[in-house]
Amino acid sequence: MEPIVIAKNLTKSYTKGLRALDNVSLTVNQGKVLVVMGPSGSGKSTLIRTFNGLETFDRGELSILGIKVNSTPDERKIQKIRRRVGMVFQQFNLFPHLSILENITLAPVHVQKRRQIEAEEYGMFLLSQMGIDSHAKKYPSQLSGGEQQRVAIARALALKPELLLFDEPTSALDPERINEVLDAMRRLAEQGMTMVVVTHEIGFAKDVSDQVLFMDSGKVIETSPPSIFFSNARHERSRKFLNQLDNH
Amino acid sequence: MFKINISSIIFSLKNLKKTLFSNLFNTIISLLIILFISKACFNTFEWLIFKADWKVVTTNLPLYAFGSFPPNEQWRPATWIISLLLLSILTLCGPEWKWLRKNLLKVWVGTIPIGLYLLYGGIGLSPIMSRHLGGLTLTILLTICSSFLSLPFGIVLALCRQSSLPFVEKLSSIYIDVMRSIPLIAVLFFGQLLIPLFLPVGIEIDRVWRAIFAFSLFVSAYIAEDIRGGLQSIPNTQIEAANSLGLNQYQIIQFILIPQAIRIALPALTNQSIGLFQNTSLMAILGLVELLGIGRSILANPEFIGQYIEVYVWLASVYWMVCTIMAVLARNLEQKMTINQANF
Amino acid sequence: MKINQKIFLQFGICIILFCLIGILINNLTVNLIRTGLGFNFSWLFKPASFALAEHPLPYTSSDSYAWALFIGWLNSLKVIVSSLILATFLGTIIAFARTGKNSLLGLISAAYITIIRQTPLLLQLMFWYFVGFLGLKDNMFIHIKNIFNITNQGIDFSGLFFSSEFLALSLGLSIFTSAYIAEVIRGGIISVSRGQWEAFRSLGLSERKGLIRIILPQALPAIIPGLTSQYLNLAKNSTLAIAVGYSDIYAINDTIINQTGRAIECFIILLFSFLLLNLLITNTMEIINRLILNSQKHT
Repeated sequence: MEPIVIAKNLTKSYTKGLRALDNVSLTVNQGKVLVVMGPSGSGKSTLIRTFNGLETFDRGELSILGIKVNSTPDERKIQKIRRRVGMVFQQFNLFPHLSILENITLAPVHVQKRRQIEAEEYGMFLLSQMGIDSHAKKYPSQLSGGEQQRVAIARALALKPELLLFDEPTSALDPERINEVLDAMRRLAEQGMTMVVVTHEIGFAKDVSDQVLFMDSGKVIETSPPSIFFSNARHERSRKFLNQLDNH
Repeated sequence: MFKINISSIIFSLKNLKKTLFSNLFNTIISLLIILFISKACFNTFEWLIFKADWKVVTTNLPLYAFGSFPPNEQWRPATWIISLLLLSILTLCGPEWKWLRKNLLKVWVGTIPIGLYLLYGGIGLSPIMSRHLGGLTLTILLTICSSFLSLPFGIVLALCRQSSLPFVEKLSSIYIDVMRSIPLIAVLFFGQLLIPLFLPVGIEIDRVWRAIFAFSLFVSAYIAEDIRGGLQSIPNTQIEAANSLGLNQYQIIQFILIPQAIRIALPALTNQSIGLFQNTSLMAILGLVELLGIGRSILANPEFIGQYIEVYVWLASVYWMVCTIMAVLARNLEQKMTINQANF
Repeated sequence: MKINQKIFLQFGICIILFCLIGILINNLTVNLIRTGLGFNFSWLFKPASFALAEHPLPYTSSDSYAWALFIGWLNSLKVIVSSLILATFLGTIIAFARTGKNSLLGLISAAYITIIRQTPLLLQLMFWYFVGFLGLKDNMFIHIKNIFNITNQGIDFSGLFFSSEFLALSLGLSIFTSAYIAEVIRGGIISVSRGQWEAFRSLGLSERKGLIRIILPQALPAIIPGLTSQYLNLAKNSTLAIAVGYSDIYAINDTIINQTGRAIECFIILLFSFLLLNLLITNTMEIINRLILNSQKHT
């Protein structure tokens, strides 16, 4: 079976000399969870945003779900990818003018042309999985951060994606709200969802991930299984980063 | 409840003492103002009750309301205005009836075709010409039809001004800027004169509809700027989120950008429609007998000559009432939205 | 490919637009030929043959249309400038009354603002003209030794004569605009953080001094843009002069159209007169804005 994500030598530079991505290569196989770690500004967000076409890149090869992406973006291909890839953002980015359920059914109804009733039933099912089905009629601003982020996950799941991207899903949350989101993500991983997660949560990475990818200034420093990465990281840079995280 | 009221009155009295009579200078000023207010109120009431001759208003009430609408058909505009009023009250009270609450907007939009049918007649009702329309009925018709036409046009203009196509962007900018720099009376006047000139021979639009089109062309430029402000304040992350859900450009505009922009621009938009309502009075100079025009023609009647103050005070209070109703409705709508979207 | 698409789309829009304009212009020429009018500006130099009640520069009815239009433009400018000054003055006072501590003053100014803002300007102008000035009887008003005379013709201030049309218009415009200006200024004052108020109070400054010295300078940058747009509105609203019979630029255009039927040409002239007025106002305000910013940088 072909890997879900294949990236080869992805390179992107903002201005001269400053590289957001520097020869990044990686693969993510079906059903696996890849955690991307690194200091802020290391290019982790840029990396996963290239996976659904929110960012472009200058050089290299990228294939998502078997669809090749070029450095010059082809709208139609990207649209095809976006229909099969879900994304969860740091700031939730729910649509404030739509109710929770409407947030979730918008894309299934208008992108996948499913029937409204069908989409609503599936939306309610997802909400109950996330434990927030009682909020379906409310609006995003009436929910706590953790609840909003779980809605955002349900919204991404509504398209029945084959790959889920998480861009620091817990960084904007109050500490006591982080676990409810991480638990939801854990359950997804147990169900066999392929995920790429940018996060600083060591506990989550240790328990759930199959691989940890560590980035710094656009480069991949190392890719290891979590058991090795957290106990015995191969690179000096990784160890330093982990020490800093521990001290927090 | 009652206790709270008493204590709050005492509190406000204490507050009053603090704000009005804190020192000698303030006390003198406050007393002077109180004297002035009571004198003004006394004179006004004296005039309102004893001196003013309200016959000019009371005998002409149907004229103010319906203009020269045929008397035995006046129930039609009356039904329309009363149903609008009832709908406003219903909207304010927050209807219990669930269906109505859900479809309030549709009901409001529905009043336009119903109103047009009632006013102009057609199937089942005897047809009435535009020139028989007048008074408050015409004022409301002008306001509602123009705002209804100018909203979509304004939105299109705003979107064009934000467009990445330079030609489209320039064109709509020029339209908006030119429209915003000329006075309304000129647009209305030239609308009356020029719209027939630009139409093919044989096709004619009556004065009322020429006015409605001129108003729409004018107001849409202002609405476009309000909507553009709303569009600009939508964070880019909303578009990213919609993009990552696979929505295409038109779907993003339709489901994400326009609804949010309208909500953000709502206070400005309601101000536009209140302004529009007041500005329909300009048609009085251009030969339509809407509310102010009817007032002028009544004043021209030898029977009522010179009773300017009564007529103007009466008209001002009618305008004031309707504007206040509109403003209260708008505030109500805004509050409902902020309850839904606290961080909006 | 994307760029090609864009060019194609714009080209399409261009063609549709040209077709539309073509149809409109075709209709227009057909209609103009039918009515026997061409499109030219040579009539501008023919004698206007109408009189003007008010003219700041010499004018007789044998002067050209162009000169009449210029006089009208000057009349517009005169009424705009005078009501602009009065409106700002009134608006500032009302804003202070509304933000001040005295709740009675606040009440009065709130009532003033709602009454003025919720009734049409045209109605107010007619009120001032027909009730305020034409309603005056000769015996009703003050003659102070022939220095200051108010009659229903206007005000004569030691030889300087203001017609009742001009006075009603500028009074009405000032009062109407002052209600909007008051809200702009109030908005600016509110936008200054509460901490600033507490700061000057804790320094022992009086309310009035603090407002003028501390709050207002900080509020000005927020006030100026709103003020500019109110001034532009005032300029546009001044065209309601026609309702009280004051001969401003719009009223003269109106007369000329009635005489000659040159609607299109007059529309273009009016457009450019207003562009000129708008430019004048925005540029002046821009200069004032820069002066304020500069003076604040120095202190």
